[in-house]
Amino acid sequence: MSENLEQSFVKQLKENQNIIHKICRLYTNGEDAHNDLFQEITIQLWKAFPKFRGESKFSTWAYRVALNTAITLYRKSTRSVATISYEGQKHFLSQEDYNFEEEEQIKLMYQAVHQLNDIEKALVFLYLEDKDYTEISETLGISEVNARVKMNRIKGKLKKILNP
Amino acid sequence: MDLLKKAWQKDTHSFQQVSENEIYRMIHKRSSSIVKWILIISILEFVFWNVISVMYLGDSYIRKKYGNEIFEYIREINTIYNIINYTVVAVFIYLFYRNYKRISATKSTKQLMSDILKTRKTVIYYVWFNIVFFVVGTLVILYVQLNYDSKFASLMQRIHNDTGYMVLCKSLGIVFAFMLLIVIAIWLFYKLIYGILLGKLSKNYKELQKIDL
Repeated sequence: MSENLEQSFVKQLKENQNIIHKICRLYTNGEDAHNDLFQEITIQLWKAFPKFRGESKFSTWAYRVALNTAITLYRKSTRSVATISYEGQKHFLSQEDYNFEEEEQIKLMYQAVHQLNDIEKALVFLYLEDKDYTEISETLGISEVNARVKMNRIKGKLKKILNP
Repeated sequence: MDLLKKAWQKDTHSFQQVSENEIYRMIHKRSSSIVKWILIISILEFVFWNVISVMYLGDSYIRKKYGNEIFEYIREINTIYNIINYTVVAVFIYLFYRNYKRISATKSTKQLMSDILKTRKTVIYYVWFNIVFFVVGTLVILYVQLNYDSKFASLMQRIHNDTGYMVLCKSLGIVFAFMLLIVIAIWLFYKLIYGILLGKLSKNYKELQKIDL
């Protein structure tokens, strides 16, 4: 039984790992920190997995646990030392999808988002993932109206950063 | 922004993929989350304060420090002290355990943060209880000494004769200054631990609260 649980967890996590990668990239600088946070999120997801009953999609459930880990639970472990700026980070892209312009845009986007605080990052992340405000407000524990207001403010802030 | 959204959602191949084997390995590693640290530190605090109070209230320690003369008095106070102390410890451990169990990564971010802060607060209240208990205890013992210990009898005599008044003031002043110093030291120590452990969390919690204002 527990073996089955483990298998199904690993399979689903593997399919959905890009969610976690994106969060790691938003909240960390450099490869070491990225991997460290990825590992912690994986552990937290696994610990919470017995409570996951499949009422929602695995990804929806994972958003919440992963963001909670990044914002609240995660403490930098001592082994992550030097911070490399993510421009120097390896960027893997399969050839057929390579689109220089989009790639540049995303890079700029990450740069801009890195200037926001933890909570703002979470809002931007959920927005970019195309979550509606009901889900955003439920994930963060704030009211829907206020989530909308805050998001608009962040958009303004990002615009200012991107087009100074 | 919408353009970015599209680009963002297409951006799925840009990460080095983690294999199933790596995930297997990861889930068997130990977490280094803040909750684990809170649990460790809190248990250490419970143990520390209990050891202190057991040492402070042990029979042999009392006999050595206060002598046989007032031993019986102190022991009586001590029994009451112990009953209160253990009741309170039991209540606090229960509250701590209940709050700790509530912490779950599947809750909303705000709820999670508030649960963690609540758990920490339980321990802080326990520490404050100990400090107050310590201060009250010291005062009670001082009172007993002044009234029943022959070593203090001459001092009391002088107080009655008005000449020892200054001596009493001085010694009381020293006792209070000493207690104040200990309380300040403990308070600073906690500020430090809190800052290291919960600084980021408190900041983010305030940020979330601000959104809902």
